[in-house]
Amino acid sequence: MADKDNNDGGMDQMFQIWEQGQNAFFKAQTEAMETFNKSFENMPDFSGQIKQTDSFPAWDNFIKSWVPDWDPNIFANQSGEFSNQFTKSGNAFLALLEPANWTKYAPEQLRVILQSIAEGPKFADLATPQHEAAETWRETLDYTQAAADMGKVMQDAWVRTYGRFNKDYSIEDLKAPNPEEAMNAWLGAANHELLETQRSPEYMDAQRRMIRSSTEIKARQKDLAEAWSEMYQMPTRTEMDDLIKTVHELRRELRKVKRELASLKAV
Amino acid sequence: MTAVEPDKNGNPLEELSLAQEAWMLAWQQMLQTGERMLKSNGFLGEVKNEDVAIAETPADVVFEVDKVRLLRYKPLAKTRTDIPPMIICYGLFGRQTMIDLQEDRSLVRNLLMAGIDLYVVDWGNPTRADQFLNFDDYVERYLGSCVEHVFEANGNKPVNMFGICEGGTFATMLAAFRPELFAGLALAITPIDFHGDQDNFWRGEGFLNSWVGNLTKDDIDLLIDTHGMLPGEMTGAVFSSLTPIASMTKYNIGLARMEGNEAMMLNFLRMEKWIADRPDHPGEAARQWLNDLYRENQLVNGEFEICGEKIDLKKISCPVINIYAEQDHIIPVSCSKALGKFISKKNYDEIGFPGGHVGVFVSRKAQGVVAGGLVDWLEKKQGKSAAKKKQNRKKA
Repeated sequence: MADKDNNDGGMDQMFQIWEQGQNAFFKAQTEAMETFNKSFENMPDFSGQIKQTDSFPAWDNFIKSWVPDWDPNIFANQSGEFSNQFTKSGNAFLALLEPANWTKYAPEQLRVILQSIAEGPKFADLATPQHEAAETWRETLDYTQAAADMGKVMQDAWVRTYGRFNKDYSIEDLKAPNPEEAMNAWLGAANHELLETQRSPEYMDAQRRMIRSSTEIKARQKDLAEAWSEMYQMPTRTEMDDLIKTVHELRRELRKVKRELASLKAV
Repeated sequence: MTAVEPDKNGNPLEELSLAQEAWMLAWQQMLQTGERMLKSNGFLGEVKNEDVAIAETPADVVFEVDKVRLLRYKPLAKTRTDIPPMIICYGLFGRQTMIDLQEDRSLVRNLLMAGIDLYVVDWGNPTRADQFLNFDDYVERYLGSCVEHVFEANGNKPVNMFGICEGGTFATMLAAFRPELFAGLALAITPIDFHGDQDNFWRGEGFLNSWVGNLTKDDIDLLIDTHGMLPGEMTGAVFSSLTPIASMTKYNIGLARMEGNEAMMLNFLRMEKWIADRPDHPGEAARQWLNDLYRENQLVNGEFEICGEKIDLKKISCPVINIYAEQDHIIPVSCSKALGKFISKKNYDEIGFPGGHVGVFVSRKAQGVVAGGLVDWLEKKQGKSAAKKKQNRKKA
């Protein structure tokens, strides 16, 4: 537990952020360098003239060092396998493109730390701006994470759409006299996948978190605008809202009284 | 589908020619689409916003309360005295101009041509100053006052109400709260049971119900407290996401397919004009709509209150016709049809329209099915022949 008198807790947490961030950075660098070394291991000597027969295996080796189960024939094999190349293997190259793989480490640790700062005890004359900054930072992280998760959900939906379309359509089909049919099939496949995705728990969860965090950011902006208004002797949004509410309630009471008077007159 | 073998060196060369062929095909398609798109772009370059006119049927403002106006339409045929006047009440998520989008697709014109004395409620343009307006205000104060006005103009006799979408929910609540004002209640695409038959939703049906159900009460409170209102841009985005591909392709493939056809382009632009004019929803009323109705389903549970009084749908005593859209993405059929459980069989009729939420009003087919069905129902329940039948029954 942090020492409240010395406020050492905040420093410890800052060190933790720094240390974990640095570890994540070095780990990523090491993995990337290992793969780089591996990809250039079997390269032919290109210092002289490049032989036609060497270039394809060299390119193939290079790609396979990043994508071990890469199959160049996949472009011609229109059975839907192409789309799986992007999802089935956790290989190094595709992992770089996968937001869920690189957004979930440090931000989550950082989020926990920021949450603990924001939810920690508040002092009358100390560290109020830091509390608010931690909360703002946490809200921004939440939004970034939710947006990345939503991006992944939608990316998966489009990959599935491609697979679905690929299963049913080949180039021969596209040569048909009316290619509108293929276009409609593509739109139909996309509509199907997007509607399915929208019902999925992953989509719902990411969207809820996006709405929540963007609203929190908006509320924070409102606080800042109010601080600015106060600084320049202008009425704040909250004060205006209070006035509107008062007028609204008065009008409601007036209407009630009028109705009571009318019913009394009727008697 | 043909499997392609690599060449003698094991290189996948064949794929290159296939890929080239595919690119050529795609390129040809792009050229053809581009040509069609140019025709539509040419039209868009010439047409002005003022050329895209909606809601042109002439009307007078006969009553106002705050921002709410009651419009009375000028007759287009001899006004029928046997059928009581009708008030149309749209919701707050869009504008009532939808029901008079263009001359040949106008519920308003169809009813006027049938001799109905027609009024329409215009909710105005709510701003943050209206954020504390709630269902008490919209149902009892605003809609109630409009109905009272027409009731008095009709010689203190009950009138007909046609409620649409959220406006249908307002109308239903008022019909249960003040049944003495109503001669008949017509509803279209109106949610009553906000949960519906979730186990039997078709793909794409009930997304809005799941979307709201996925939010917590606290999420909704934060949203309303922060914005004051439920922003029109947000509700517009949610509605667009209900038909994802149609929303993504309307400005590209959709426009190209129109090939500059004037009638099609103007229909499209009128609809765009209506969509773009989406007001913010007053905050407190939106909080009740989302929390009390969508999340807690208080109306069918008999828990929803207007002015401190619980709304009992069984108190609706007038004849009811309930029009629903069979392919409605926004209001599931089961959410609308639930009203039938609360109304006596002799007083309850339904029309299932084979189309979507907005199609109920703007499609060509709807002009006969919806407006025609409504006029037939009025004739059957309130027309001269109905009155004669009643007299005969009394005599007998």
